Order: sequence, then C-alpha cells, then structure tokens
Amino acid sequence: MIQSVRRAGAILRELGSGDKRLGVTELADRLGLAKATVYGLLRSLEAEELVERDVETGKYRLGPTLLQLGNAYLDAHELRARSLLWADSLATRTSEAVRVGVPNGHNVLIVHHVFRPDNSVQILEVGAAIPWHVSALGKAIAAYDDPDVARRLLEGPLPRLTGRTITDPEELARALEEIHRSGVAVEDQEAVIGEAEVAAAVLDHHGRPLGAIGVAGPVERLILDGVVRADVVGAVKESARGLSRELGGGRRFARAH
Amino acid sequence: MAVAERLDGDFVRRWIVEAARGIREQRDYLTQLDAAIGDADHGANMDRGFEAALAGLSPVDGSPGELLARVGDTLVLTVGGAAGPLYGSAFRCMGRELADADVFDAEGLLSLLRAGLGEMKRLGAARLGDKTIVDAFEPATIAFERGLRAGEELGRAAARARAAAEEGMLATVPMQARKGRASYLGPRSVGHQDPGATSTMILFAALERAVTGGDGEP
Repeated sequence: MIQSVRRAGAILRELGSGDKRLGVTELADRLGLAKATVYGLLRSLEAEELVERDVETGKYRLGPTLLQLGNAYLDAHELRARSLLWADSLATRTSEAVRVGVPNGHNVLIVHHVFRPDNSVQILEVGAAIPWHVSALGKAIAAYDDPDVARRLLEGPLPRLTGRTITDPEELARALEEIHRSGVAVEDQEAVIGEAEVAAAVLDHHGRPLGAIGVAGPVERLILDGVVRADVVGAVKESARGLSRELGGGRRFARAH
Repeated sequence: MAVAERLDGDFVRRWIVEAARGIREQRDYLTQLDAAIGDADHGANMDRGFEAALAGLSPVDGSPGELLARVGDTLVLTVGGAAGPLYGSAFRCMGRELADADVFDAEGLLSLLRAGLGEMKRLGAARLGDKTIVDAFEPATIAFERGLRAGEELGRAAARARAAAEEGMLATVPMQARKGRASYLGPRSVGHQDPGATSTMILFAALERAVTGGDGEP
C-alpha cells in the first residue's frame, strides 16, 4: 500500500465528515501526522482540485473535482442511466417518490432518486447507503441473489433501525421467499418511522439482480389498512420488468414472475 | 408562582395550549433545522398537528387520560412524517397510563412521561446518542424524577426537566444521526441540531408553564 495515497484518502474522509472546513493543524491533530506532511498532501490534493482552500480563513474543504467523480461513479451504473425515464414516469403515475438502488455489500446504495411530484421540500438521497434488510430495494435484490450471497447477507449485521425492523435471519429468509414468489418487496416503517417503500428487482439476462426500483413515501399513503396500494404494486412491477427487458433480462424476468 | 399539585383535564389542556403556542412561535425555526437534515416539514407538521389537537380539547370533556389519548389520536392523523406516529403514540400511551383517573399528581405525571418515552423508544428503537427525540425526552424525564425524589415541588421539578431537555437538545448538535432519515446522511448530519429533540424541548417548556398555571389562553 502506498502510504501517501492512504493518507490523502484519510484527509478527504475527514473533510467529508461533520466539520466541512479544517485547517492544517486540525487535520494534523486528527490524523496524528506532522503538520508539514499534511500541508504537502493538501497542496497536492489542491493541485488536483480534490480539495480547495478558503482564501479568507486558509482552511481546506472538499474540491469540485469530487462532484464530477461522484457523478462519474453514478454514471458507471448502467441501471442508473437506463432508469431515469422509468423512474420519472413511475413517480408521475404513483404521485410518490421513486428510488433506484444497487447492491453494495450489506447495504443498498441509492443511485437515483426522483422526488414526490408535489413541490414539497425533499432531501436528495442519492449516495445514501441503507442496510439491505430495512429497505424494500435491498430485500427485492436479496430475494433474487445467488443463495450463497443471500446467506452471507442473512448471516451479516442486521441492525435495528426502528421497532419494526426485522432482525431475525429466519424471518427475513421467509420474507425473501415470499418476495421471490410475489415479485414485489414491501418495507413498512422498518427503516424510518412513518415511511414505507414498495420495490421490485431489476434482473439481467441470467436472472441475476442488477438492482431494484421502488416507490417510497408516507406509510399512510402507500399501505391502507395493512394492504399495499394495488396500483403502486402494479406500476412498480411494470417498471422493473421494463427496465429488466432494456437491460437484457426480459425473458428470464418474465419467467421468474 | 401558583403550582397546581392536583393535575386534571384543565391541566392537560393548558399543556397543549402552551405546546401549540410554543410550536407556532418556533415553527419557522423547526422547519429551518429540518431543512438541514430532513424534509423541512417538521415545523409545519407539528404546528398543524398541535392546532388540531388543541381544537379537539375544547371543551374539556373527559378524564385527563381520555384527553391525552385524544391528543395522541389527532397527532397520529395530522402530523405525518416520523413525528406523527412517534408523538402520537407517546400521547396515546400517556393517556392509557392514567386510565380513567379524574386527577393525578406529580408521581402520576412522572409515570406518564415514562410511558410516553418508553413507547417512543420502542417504536423508534432509539437510544441516547442516536440524535432523536429521545436525546431530549429521556434526560428531561430523568431530571423530573430526580427533582421529585429530592423532595422538590412540582414546579421546580418541571423547570429542571425543561432545562435537561434543553441541554439534551443542544447535545444533539455534534452527534451523527443513527436513526431516522437523517442517518442516511451519515457524517453530514453532524453539526446540526435535531429538529425532534427541539420540538421535545418545546413540549417540556410548555409542561413547565402548564404546571405553574399558564394563562390557559391559546
């Protein structure tokens, strides 16, 4: 491992955490490095526009190149590029927010998010990493995962995020079977109190999950008296099927459902 | 200050009057806090909910327990977001705790605060330090109990609870959210005061005013 690259990474992570502007001394203290070392790293990072220096305070913050790199990372996911139109139309049809996620270890990474089309202020969740088992996207993906992958997920960490989070691996395994059977995953206040999500997996031509697309919103608008809105279920499955077809998984997907 | 040691339905109404007023006054502030780490709707949601809850308490026509449960039902239906189910269930639970007693005392108030706190912790699976309502509600409840155990009169214990809620609210600033939507933001939630802990502080400030009489006018 090249030490200076690791140290540069540590600097970027510090600048990406709570304190968004840090001076050389603060960074040196936090990383346990000499000030001269940190200064040299910062100058190199600044030359690459990975950090920028505030002229007035002399403190450093993340640089604009990172945004371009972040976007490039998102664009590398073909599912994201293909999902833009599907997600827009799904949001319009259901009048709710739509999220697209890809598997990322024990999390599902949100790679696209369309706001609920009602002009309310909403927070962009692109880049959020959500534990797979508290997300309809994550469960939809896991239900089509290779059995080995699914087993590793079930044996991995299953943190409790609300009183409704399912943390029992056996109960989750049963839920995944049911999702595989019905083709749709539902999450009812398992991640955030008051919120629900309905999602379906997007599959490649081998039937392997590339990710998932889902509708997220206030639980009282998606689940009425314990029953998920049928129009939402239909629209979500249709979008996932369309996306799978575009990505080459159409026939296999149709069979799986 | 005249302190009511016998708490009744009028006390419940005074609490909600003061809470609705506090939230109305802090509505934009709550929204501003929520804009940093949430959907920027906490102020509007809470204002709508407590105005509706207050409307449901005129006239005061029931036992304190019934009134609290009614407040809870209204909050669940009108607040939305995570705050609706959390505060709403807490008030329902407080109401159940009192059963059909016509009056209760400081110990009764403590047991209903505990019941409300317990319900929110159960629903949200939240602990101290997660950057949620619990970070203000739990220290406030503990401080209230400590005051009573030290033999303090109700007004003094309620003031202590309010101060602890305020301290707990301020302590959420450097925390990284581990529960709720703000937790998706990871380290980006650091440096922002939690809107839920802030509205809880408002509820405890309202409780203090209600205990010491208040003017009972919305």
